[in-house]
Amino acid sequence: MGALTDKYCIVGVGETPHMRPSNRTTLSMACEAVRKALADAGLEARDVDGMTSYSIGDSTTSPHVATALGMRLNYAVDIFGGGSSGEALVANAIGLIEAGYCKTMVIFRSMNGRSGRRMGGQTPGGPIPVALAEGDGQFNIGWGWTTPAQRFGMSAMRYLRDTGCTTRAFAEIAVAHRYHASLNPKARHRSPITIEDHQRSRWIVKPLRLLDCCQETDVSVAIIVTSRERAYDLRHPPVFIMGGYARTLTDSPQWNYSREELHYVAGNYGWKRAFGMAGITHKDVDFVSCYDAFTFTTLIQLEANAFCGKGEAGEFVKGGRLRIDRELPSNLSGGHLSEGYTHGVQMVIENVRQLRHRADDACPGWAEGRHSYDRAAGCRQLKQADICCGMGWGWENMASCLILRGMAA
Amino acid sequence: MPGPIDYSKLRILPDYDTVEWWAGTKQRKYLVRQCNACGHKWFPPIFPACARCTSMDIGWFETAGRGVLHSYVVVVQPIVGAFIGAVPYVVAIIELDDCKEADGSVTRVAGVMLNDEAEVAIGLPCAVEYEETSDAKIVMPRWRVSGTAANTWKFAE
Ligand SMILES: [Zn+2]
Repeated sequence: MGALTDKYCIVGVGETPHMRPSNRTTLSMACEAVRKALADAGLEARDVDGMTSYSIGDSTTSPHVATALGMRLNYAVDIFGGGSSGEALVANAIGLIEAGYCKTMVIFRSMNGRSGRRMGGQTPGGPIPVALAEGDGQFNIGWGWTTPAQRFGMSAMRYLRDTGCTTRAFAEIAVAHRYHASLNPKARHRSPITIEDHQRSRWIVKPLRLLDCCQETDVSVAIIVTSRERAYDLRHPPVFIMGGYARTLTDSPQWNYSREELHYVAGNYGWKRAFGMAGITHKDVDFVSCYDAFTFTTLIQLEANAFCGKGEAGEFVKGGRLRIDRELPSNLSGGHLSEGYTHGVQMVIENVRQLRHRADDACPGWAEGRHSYDRAAGCRQLKQADICCGMGWGWENMASCLILRGMAA
Repeated sequence: MPGPIDYSKLRILPDYDTVEWWAGTKQRKYLVRQCNACGHKWFPPIFPACARCTSMDIGWFETAGRGVLHSYVVVVQPIVGAFIGAVPYVVAIIELDDCKEADGSVTRVAGVMLNDEAEVAIGLPCAVEYEETSDAKIVMPRWRVSGTAANTWKFAE
């Protein structure tokens, strides 16, 4: 166990609807998400004295949100980063609160990810009219190789070659996460799909099809971290932070030109520390979340974090194993693939709701933790939701993880 | 062969660390970075120090521009406007024949293939060729399958 295991908690979560387009500024969306997280926690704006966010230069800042909401902060830092940053900022929050820099901290991400700046540089109107290839871009944009789909596709292709699995394994992820989205009133895509629907969807960049790719949306998400002592006084039972790793890198971080196996991703370097810190084994994990920017990224994160053996993820996910009520439920909100794209934070939010036993589903009593567990009636709450492992991805070269538990564990 | 790339819609902006590399392609030379202290080689040249020994005393190694296709993608939906006329095109990662090091690792490069998807497979030998662009200062390296190999693998879905 780590020295700070269970000493810090996530006490509030909130998000705006997933829109395309939002017709709002990132500042306006961030204020809404932060207000909702405060209300969820039962905190006032003046109770928060730290704020942090991440972006890729496409968002507002903590001082703007604090000014808008009338907060006086003792700590406000906004970092450059994408996927895997949310979990890493939770780790930062633990360290900052422990060291006395602040007491209660908001972490947010706000992005017009569809109507504003899109991943890979595509403009809302379509292909980039004139592309500037500078810095790293000289050696990828210059070869027409820009989007995450195009670039992650290299390791996906090599994975298929090295393991002998087919894209039907990718389809398993799309089908499972979509099924969960069908139980989530907030999700953008709620009609269940089949393996065959995935196989018939159009190619984006081989080996990835349309149904391998996430749903870019305009959205803001926020979570609040504080100490266990404060957490017990708040509105919900606390969700304890057991362990994790934060933006762990591979040996050869410029992964497009990595000298390692292209699909030997950063999680391989982190999971032992996270599980050791949490003091648990994989058998203790009731459910997982994976950064599913693409189906393939879920597959490879399960493998990298040792939920299955090397090269075995394709076999591991077969037959709906990641679905609710099965062996290892994954991305219970529908994830990036079907709920919407938040650069990772929505997985943390869903995990918190599941661990509280308060998934916001079709059950009339969900807010009080009363669930039917009847999937046909739209219940999304897991019966056994005591410990979860959330895995973040920021390209093959970078990963984070957050192991959380509820009161029952 | 894929359709033409409209280089008028692509602006390559060499910087202090890469200007010599682009000058190299203009002379039909395929360069990788090389450490003058320990001999380690790497790509792309945006990195100004040696990852083996941290030396910043670095130069260039002129490769033969030959290698083995290590992985690839087939871009069907274009995102960069310059490539709209080229779809579907293959982008490949290539392990250079003359950049193998003592630890078994190999310098990898990448580029757009001159071959169609049907002609491409992991494990095939490839060689670089050079393509003029609309910018007099930029010559673009492309790659072409240059032979056959025993154990190849191709995506057949
Ligand atoms: Zn060196």
